[in-house]
Formats: sequence, C-alpha cells, structure tokens
Amino acid sequence: MADELLRASGLESGYGGVQVLWGADIAVAAGETVVLLGANGAGKTTLLRVLMGLMPAWRGTITLDGAAVTHETTDQRVRRGVAYMSELGVFPDMTIADNLRIGSRFAPRAARAAAIDALYARFPDLAGKRRSLAGSLSGGQRKMLGIAKALAGRPRLLVMDEPSAGLSPLYVAEVLAVLGRFRAEGLALLIAEQNVAFLDLADRVCTLERGRTVFTGTTAELHANDALERAYFGLT
Amino acid sequence: MLYHAVLGGLVYGLYFTLVGLGLNLMFGVMRIVNLAHGDVIMLGAYAAWALFTAWAVHPLLAALAILLAFTAIGIPVYYLIVPRLLRARDAEMLSLILFFGLQQIIEAAATIAFGTTERSIPGRVLGHHPVRILGQVLPAAWVWAGAVSAVCVAALYLYLYHSPPGMLTRAVMSNREEAKASGIDVDRVCSLAFGIALALAGIAGVFAPFMLGSVTPAIGPDLNIAAFAVIVIGTLGNPIGTVLGGIIYGVSLMLMQTFLSAWANLLPNLLLIAVLLVRPSGLLGRRVRRA
Repeated sequence: MADELLRASGLESGYGGVQVLWGADIAVAAGETVVLLGANGAGKTTLLRVLMGLMPAWRGTITLDGAAVTHETTDQRVRRGVAYMSELGVFPDMTIADNLRIGSRFAPRAARAAAIDALYARFPDLAGKRRSLAGSLSGGQRKMLGIAKALAGRPRLLVMDEPSAGLSPLYVAEVLAVLGRFRAEGLALLIAEQNVAFLDLADRVCTLERGRTVFTGTTAELHANDALERAYFGLT
Repeated sequence: MLYHAVLGGLVYGLYFTLVGLGLNLMFGVMRIVNLAHGDVIMLGAYAAWALFTAWAVHPLLAALAILLAFTAIGIPVYYLIVPRLLRARDAEMLSLILFFGLQQIIEAAATIAFGTTERSIPGRVLGHHPVRILGQVLPAAWVWAGAVSAVCVAALYLYLYHSPPGMLTRAVMSNREEAKASGIDVDRVCSLAFGIALALAGIAGVFAPFMLGSVTPAIGPDLNIAAFAVIVIGTLGNPIGTVLGGIIYGVSLMLMQTFLSAWANLLPNLLLIAVLLVRPSGLLGRRVRRA
C-alpha cells in the first residue's frame, strides 16, 4: 500500500480471560479514510483500543510508518501522529479551552496557540464558550469538541470510536460534513461505526465479525457482496 | 469568648485543611483511600522532631526538607504500589485493605524506632510571644501552622489550575480512561500527585507537635479520622474544597472545646456521620466537584 500509515496484522486480545479479537487485520494509508463496520460486540472498540495501546495485544503486530509499535504506550503512539477520539471524547469537568490545550500538547510548542485558534475559527460555537465546562455542552457540540480536541495536536491519523453514538440524524450529518472537510485536507481517518451513513466518507471499508476481519475493500465491493449487503444494509 | 473561639477555630481549621489536603488530592486523582495518611503525618512529625533534636533545624526549614524528601520518596512508592492496585477490579476496596496494612507496619516500625514516649518541640522555636490578631491573642505556633497551611493550599491551587502538569492532573481527575486515550502519561501524572500528597501530609506533621502538644507513633488513626471528617465535609475528591471542610472542622472544634469541652473529642466522628447522612456528596456537593 502506498504511504502506509498504520498496519495491524493478526491481532488477538480481550478482557481478563475472555478473548474478543481472534485475528483482526486493518491498514490505513496516509490521507485515506477507512470505516470499520461491525455489529455490537463484534470487537470494534477493542480493536481500536488495542491499536491505541489502551489494551495489550496478546498476539499480532502493529506498525506505524513501518515502525513496530505493538508494545509502545498510548502517549508514544499519539506522539507519532495518531489521535484517538473515544466515545466520550472530552473531559466533561474541564473547560473547552482546557480540553483543547490538552489536545494541543502533541503539536510543536510554537504551533499550539495557532492550532487552537484555527480550531476556534472552524468551530465558532466552541469559540464563544471557551470558559464553559465541556459537560455543559449538548451532545452534538460535545462531539465537535471531541473532534477539535483530537485534532488540536495536528495528527496525521484520527481514530474515532462511533462518532455518531447518541447523536440525532441532524448532528450526524454535521459530524460527517466536518470530517469530510478535514479528510479533503489530507487527514487520514479510521472510523469504527455501525451507522452506514459514514460509508459516504470511506475510501475503504473493513468489516469485523466476532473479532475477525471478514472483508476489506471499497464501498462498491461491499455493495457487490450479497452477504455483507444483507448484513449491513438489511437488504434482501 | 465566642469571638476568640471562632478566630482560633479559623486558624486551627486552616491547619486541619492541611491535614486533609493530601488525602483528598490522592483520592481525587487516583480514587484510592490512603488509610496510612495519618501515619505519614506522624512520620513528618518525627522527622521534624529528629531534625530539631539532632541539629536544631528550625521547623520551617524542616518543612521545606520534608516537602522535597517526601515528594521524592512518594514517586517510587507510587510505582511500587499504585499501578498494580488500580489494575484490580475493586481498586477502592483493595486500597483500603492495603493501606490499612501499611498503616499498621508504619506505626509498628515507628514504635520500634522512637518508642512510645511522647515527643514535642518547644513552642518558643516558632516565636517567644503569642501573636495578636484582630484583638485576640493566639499562640505563635498556631499562626505559623495556619500560615504555612494557607501557603500550601495556594501552592496546590496554582499547581492544579495554572501549571501544565496540574492541568493534566485535573484531566486524570476528570476521567482517567479519557486521559489515557488522550495520550496523557497517567502514571507520571499520578506519581507526582502521590508524591505531593505525601509531602503535604509530611508538612502537616511538622506542625503536629505544636498543634497537638506532643506526638507518639499512635497518633495516626486519630489524625486519619479528622482528615476524613475534613474532606467529607469539604467534598471528597475536591482538594480545594478541603479548605471549607477544614475551617468548619476547626471552628466547630474550638466552639465545642470552649462551651462543651467534654464532647469535643467526639466531634470528628459526629461531623463525619452527620455529613454522610445529610449530604453525602459534601457541603459543596457535586456542583463544584470539577477538575
């Protein structure tokens, strides 16, 4: 793959003695958007947590820019240019300004203030509420803050866990529009989702079933696969 | 008499703010309950006593040395104990058991090292004459203890709200998992908070011989109850809320000692029970329990 940014092969992991991932593979190239589809319990969040170093990989390898990072800590991976937006995504007891400052720690010191100002320009709703607690924001605004916080460190790859969770269709459309703009500027995205609306953003799709990658290909290839088409789009 | 009791209580309460401050910081950041907190205060007291007895080191200088030493000792102790503890399913309960064991060990070791004889540092070391404040006369040692406590509270506030590591500490307090996911080295942040919490307890210990009259290796559990009363009143997990808890505790204690002295020793337990029954989230409540 040209300009490969992230590659994970044969990942196995789980919680305590319960294995969740049984050999998951995924790869993301620079500037590419990959949507990770899977039902509840398929292991999407676990895969993302293992990719970010929040859980150990029992087996398998992870590389970033070709360098093995399987045993690196989360902060080391973030320093390599990968940001993670969890379902919560923000620190609810801290102000919007503090949330962005924390996110910006991974940008070069001289560029941090400019990075935050640029994000305020792109998210004017947040700019007017810098001193408000993140917990006081609506669900949609909180999601925008989560995106802004993750991008404040100027990552090359943004890994997102269900950005549509808990959002009304209106806000889902807004999140999609915002991500589309960052994608157009060259940001690579790895998005774990159940909402098939996110396929509009995808260069490639990866599906996960019971902790195994069962399909990797373009959206068109996914649509051409009858079994997957039925599983994810409910078509007969 | 009432005015004197209130003013004395304010100063005394400032000291008890310091007694509870480290305990609350540790709970707020790590969600662990340090039952050995009172014994760390006791160790601070003995360190100050030993420094004074051996080399006539002034208690304020001893407080500075203890700040550095306890922080430096606290960081490796954190890595030895806490990460393992936090990986457990019920970390809060396990911390109770583990730190109870540590408390017993520290008290036993201190008894072997120092014996059970009461130790004190002459009050004149902190000033030969009482200090007059707002028309009331207070012991100089109390005023010094209150002033140092106020400085510690201010320093902790500046650390938490106006320093980069403090901001990361508040992030961990807000949500530990989100802090990890955001690339914060949570163990580094917590180890520093752990060291600072021990240092605050150690500094409280420096003034214990003056505020309590004397110290023995057995003072830990009583100080622990007072510290718990202070932080539960002021809101558990909110270090700055400790100030309110300390002052309410100090003023109530002084009023009890002045007007109902026979009941004064029951006060920490009564306050603790009353707050837990009436307002379990502390007087400041969850509204201000923010990082």
